[in-house]
Amino acid sequence: MAHQWGMVIDLDRCTGCEACVVACHAENNISTVGADQAARGRAKHWIRVERYYEGEFPDVKTKFMPVLCQQCGNAPCEPVCPTFASYHTQEGLNGQIYNRCIGTRYCANACPYNVRFFNFYNPVWDKPLNLQLNPDVSLREVGIMEKCTFCVQRIKAAEIQAQSEKRDVKDGEIQPACVQSCTTRAMVFGDLNDPESEVSRLARSHRATRLLDELGTAPKVTYLQRDSWHDGQDV
Amino acid sequence: MERRDFLKISALTGATAALDACGSPDHQLIRFVPEEDLIPGIATWKPSICTLCTGGCGMLARVMPGEAEVVRRGQLGLLKMGLAKKLEGNPNHPINQGKLCPRGQAGLQVTYHPDRLRNPLKRSGPRGSGEFQSIGWDEAIKELASQLSPFESGKQESGFAFLTSPLRGQRANIVSNFTAALKSTRWIEFAFLDDQTVRLANSSAFGHAAPPTLDLARSNYIISFGADFLSTWNSPVAQSVAYGQMRQGRPGVRGKLVHFEPRTSITAANADEWLACAPGTEGLVALGIAHVIISENLRSASAAGAAGNAIQGWTGGLAEYAPATIEKQVGIPAARITKIAREAAANQPALAVIGGSAAAQTNGLFNALAVNALNALLGNVGKPGGTIFTPPIPGTPSNAAELQGKLEFDAFLRQIKSDPNAVKVLFLYHANPVFAAPASLQVRNTLEKIPFIASFGSFIDETSAMADLILPDHSPLESWLDDTPPSGSAQAVVSLAAPAMSPLHDTRAMPDVLLDLGHQLGPDAAKSLPWKTYDEAMKAAYGGLQKQKGSITAKDADDFWQKMQDQGGWWSTEENSAVPTTEKNSTPPTKVSAPQFDGDASDFPFHFLPYASQMQYDGSLANLPWMQEAPDPLSSAMWGTWVEINTQTAAKLGIRQSDLIEVASRHGSLRAPAFLTPAIAPDVIAMPVGQGHQNYTRYATSRGANPISILAPMTVAGTDSLAWAATRVKVSRVGEGKLILFGGGLNEQPAEIRHR
Amino acid sequence: MTDKTSDQINRDLLNPLFETSGRYWLVLSCFVAIVIAAVFAFAWQVYNGIGVAGIRRPVFWGFYITNFVFWIGLSHAGTLISAILRLCNATWRRPVTRCAEVITVFALSIGALFPVIHLGRPWVAFWLIPYPSERFIWPNIRSPLLWDFFAINTYLIGSVTFLLLPIIPDFAVVRDRATGLRKKIYRILALGWSGTPKQWHRLETAMHIMAIAIIPVAVSVHSIVSWDFAMAPVPMWHSTIFAPYFVCGAIFSGIAALILAMAFLRKFLHLEEYLLPIHFENLGKLLLVMSLLWFYFVFSERLTTWYGNESSEMAVFWLTQTGRFSPLFWLMVFCNFILPVPILAIKKLRTIAGTAIASGAVVLGMWLERYLIIVPSLSRKYLPYAYVTNPYKPTWVEITITAGTFAGLIMLYMLFSKVVPIISMWELKAGKQHVVAGTVPLIAPAKEVEAD
Repeated sequence: MAHQWGMVIDLDRCTGCEACVVACHAENNISTVGADQAARGRAKHWIRVERYYEGEFPDVKTKFMPVLCQQCGNAPCEPVCPTFASYHTQEGLNGQIYNRCIGTRYCANACPYNVRFFNFYNPVWDKPLNLQLNPDVSLREVGIMEKCTFCVQRIKAAEIQAQSEKRDVKDGEIQPACVQSCTTRAMVFGDLNDPESEVSRLARSHRATRLLDELGTAPKVTYLQRDSWHDGQDV
Repeated sequence: MERRDFLKISALTGATAALDACGSPDHQLIRFVPEEDLIPGIATWKPSICTLCTGGCGMLARVMPGEAEVVRRGQLGLLKMGLAKKLEGNPNHPINQGKLCPRGQAGLQVTYHPDRLRNPLKRSGPRGSGEFQSIGWDEAIKELASQLSPFESGKQESGFAFLTSPLRGQRANIVSNFTAALKSTRWIEFAFLDDQTVRLANSSAFGHAAPPTLDLARSNYIISFGADFLSTWNSPVAQSVAYGQMRQGRPGVRGKLVHFEPRTSITAANADEWLACAPGTEGLVALGIAHVIISENLRSASAAGAAGNAIQGWTGGLAEYAPATIEKQVGIPAARITKIAREAAANQPALAVIGGSAAAQTNGLFNALAVNALNALLGNVGKPGGTIFTPPIPGTPSNAAELQGKLEFDAFLRQIKSDPNAVKVLFLYHANPVFAAPASLQVRNTLEKIPFIASFGSFIDETSAMADLILPDHSPLESWLDDTPPSGSAQAVVSLAAPAMSPLHDTRAMPDVLLDLGHQLGPDAAKSLPWKTYDEAMKAAYGGLQKQKGSITAKDADDFWQKMQDQGGWWSTEENSAVPTTEKNSTPPTKVSAPQFDGDASDFPFHFLPYASQMQYDGSLANLPWMQEAPDPLSSAMWGTWVEINTQTAAKLGIRQSDLIEVASRHGSLRAPAFLTPAIAPDVIAMPVGQGHQNYTRYATSRGANPISILAPMTVAGTDSLAWAATRVKVSRVGEGKLILFGGGLNEQPAEIRHR
Repeated sequence: MTDKTSDQINRDLLNPLFETSGRYWLVLSCFVAIVIAAVFAFAWQVYNGIGVAGIRRPVFWGFYITNFVFWIGLSHAGTLISAILRLCNATWRRPVTRCAEVITVFALSIGALFPVIHLGRPWVAFWLIPYPSERFIWPNIRSPLLWDFFAINTYLIGSVTFLLLPIIPDFAVVRDRATGLRKKIYRILALGWSGTPKQWHRLETAMHIMAIAIIPVAVSVHSIVSWDFAMAPVPMWHSTIFAPYFVCGAIFSGIAALILAMAFLRKFLHLEEYLLPIHFENLGKLLLVMSLLWFYFVFSERLTTWYGNESSEMAVFWLTQTGRFSPLFWLMVFCNFILPVPILAIKKLRTIAGTAIASGAVVLGMWLERYLIIVPSLSRKYLPYAYVTNPYKPTWVEITITAGTFAGLIMLYMLFSKVVPIISMWELKAGKQHVVAGTVPLIAPAKEVEAD
């Protein structure tokens, strides 16, 4: 059976440290836009950590939630792209074909999660920062939409390796950059079609929710809500 | 600025690598013969060590062949070489167990930084002007040797001084020996975030002058006093890994985190309960909790042993610290303190930890001793789920505790101020006190008096800009590295890494330069610094580990050395977290001390809390573009500074989001935009440390404001540490400002944002 | 309408083709300059990257799409007048039909530029054309933007046809009058028209077919444009009311544009005897009806949103009602409803000047309406962390290009009026004979042959 890649993010473990944010930049050749462009809303953080406050001082609770492309099963960004740059792969990913994108930005408007990012200018790396670029990931020129790909280059590399060794990909063998760096192990990645995989197991938790589920997007990312603490002496 | 012009001109060959649809080939560049055997497209993973904070995480660097524009023998050309592309945590390393924080990920940008110094420089204009000219290494070393020659055969206490960041491993050893060989006791370790207070408190309470290791993974209840252990304090990645375990790593068991701090730090944001105690009253709270535990017979006072005896009144039951008594002073309802105390006692193992602003008040030592007493009372010290101490490294010269710089920074400044001729030659290595010390200490003016300053750092910063000679070190990925992290693991750890890639530029490893100089000095130096290169020194130092019970089995010394490099280090296989001493303390018990603040409350109504920022840490990482553009987790701010101010307080002062406000202490003032948040006490103003550099590469220069600059020169009583949380300020609106925020709405329910 | 002879009609209406004042050139060159500035701005944008515009995350559409919808909407002028009024036998439409059709063609052409102008990579815009590519990939027919492509092109072809067909007889008149090179050009344009009954019959049949066919095309075009928004799950976009709402708005703005165009033509081409107060009165009444209809749609949409109280929708709702976009919103309501309705409802105020003022306000108001549909919704979708405090600020590039479109329309109009009589002469003459009777047959009687 084909893989269906999915992710679980445990919000009880996530501390909001943003290791995932920087790891993603490093892995996926995301350019830094600089202060002026960041002020104009052009920064590209394929994964971001949303922070919400609840309550008023002194009873303030803070919540962190990493948001990345949900690789929706029913993605609103896919039907609206006039050139099929946004399309659904057989392994359940929402693929973005960079060199097919003409830059209408309709997909970004349709995406309810605001996880799509646009190259408003040609990206620039002050030399020799360009030496850090990952040769496994294409560079995107001006006018092209980009977003999280679940590190499809890592998925493909693992699948090719597994195929050459005549075996299947093992659970936990593929780790997108964010998952690999996450210090609290809040993020787990794997095959949702394998009921024994860790990601499937965690997705069955009683704390499992999906972001903007009510919109019918069928996201592949499951969030485990913050758990509550039970006083040991009450047991 | 001329400095910047110079760097622009020297980077003419560099320019920018822009995404050029047409592509323009570099016509003029010749190709050098590759120095290594490389297969295109194939990645190798090489162990390395992160040096960007005190944690000391072990890394793996993904190295792939690529073409770099380099200068060799004065000629610009293209060289095919292994290039580090991505950093990950080393899964086998006991400290970080395969994980890496955002700062660690950004380490790549140090190596490839456009403004990294590429060759030795000699000052060609007035000091501080930023005018330098390139010189060769031979000339540079000759100059250094000539400056040092008066010292080796001199009398006691020569005019040599070495100012570094806190060092560990053989680097510390070599610097120590070098300084001693020059008949000097002036090796100064400087950092804004220093842990002296916590070390002293641990020494007094538990007999270990070391930062604690927190076994969070097996803990059920954690009370944190100001320690931002999930972000910047002590060993953040190790602590985060353990925190994840504590929360959801044990089926059916979830630990609770309670955090006391006047503002919401990242750790406070993750706590089940965040309580804003009045600044400096953390010790009172800890003793209040202890009082409840003792008075309700949940645990016996004597369980605290020496740590308890360190607090005056401990045996009396701490009646004066009853929650109802201290309630007003600490600003927390007594019922909550009582509840926490009962929960802690009932949910063992429970541990307490102190750090951050709680230890940086004038009564920081008292606070730390109080927390240590609480820890001991809870019975967790040296036990699973509690506070433990990383065992010392067997069979090697002991760790940094003994090799610690013998001179404190304050004392160093005083020496120069009282006798301008005291110091003739100063070596700088990764310390930036002109930026990271309060302006009231007048660091720049004081260092100005020193006739000759040499810097080994990779960047021009505020302090190294004063150098007469710069001998740039390799970047960490290009260096032989070792580390002996003093906390973060229950096993003794020695990290070791061979260079992950060849040097891009004409730089040299700082220890190698010292060893080279050492050979040119007299016989004493040669005795204490007999090695030719740094790896030789490390091999000699760590060879003894082969005989210890550890992670490596090898047939001989060479095999051991190779395996140690391959694994990224050696760690003991015994969990031997040291047991605290139970004898009585030799020092007299500490009385409660109230925190002192600079500036009286009527003129300066707010407490000022600078804090190490997640991305820029203590300012040393502001030069990395990823660290500038990554949104701050709490404010979502990028590329700038902000001032955290309580939403209600701001409304009273007529300050709106992003308004430019002036924050003034008795020692200076600064201006920055306001960030309104409900998650800070109404009488507290907080600012991230990191920006406000006057000179620190193109990305950080002239950006934002530096909160350290306006701090009062207060000291943590009983230590030499700066009490950086003890300043009071006043605040006023100046005009419209600008915040570059990545995030927008603060609350999750959009209907609450109507009319905004 | 005073009774004019065929001769007089010819003379008056052909005058602009043969005589041009200095003032005309001066005014034309001003508009040409603005258009050139706009072209330069676009070139600047293509060279530097679309980042020179004010769009940002999450407000990825701004002025350009506002203009796109606005101009496509404006183009419904012709459809209404020429097609609907023609089918309804409204006799007073005769002097007005060509003015309207010209607006349609030019506004549509301008509007059709914007899907290319707003692209991140306009140099590959041709991938929207369904052609067998070497990569075996076709455009995505599920995308509303592809429907735009087909609908607008169809409407454009239809409108051009609808414009050119009835000009043929007038080209013939010009041909007969002109000399030299001009005569040669107009002979080609007249396509050998000689006014035989058979030719008239064919012309009338063709126009009748076009009149019927163009109406569903026009309705579908703006419905499809509205679906660019309604098909996306964005708060206050995803609404079933959008298709009729947009079509109504389009006709509304179209009529307003037509009134303005007529007012200016009347003044500058001295057509006081042809474009009479009754025309403005009737169009004014139509404008009133559309204003009321527009208000009905807006009120209905707002009421249901408010009553439904869905949180993401309300976050956007309050932005326009009381929040940062409220000044523009209430200005829009003033321009589209509060100002025009009294002017157009009270007979005394429903003069040429009055209707022109009301129309000017409506044009502004309808432009604002497009803007207020796009920007507030995009600035607040579902996740509050992605809300922005400075949603959108147009840059000089977008402002220049927008100004360029308005200048462009006027420029094209001015050029057109020098090449083709702006009032359809033969229709005027055909109608003149039956003004008193009050009925106009669908098939015009045989044209009088001028003896001049």
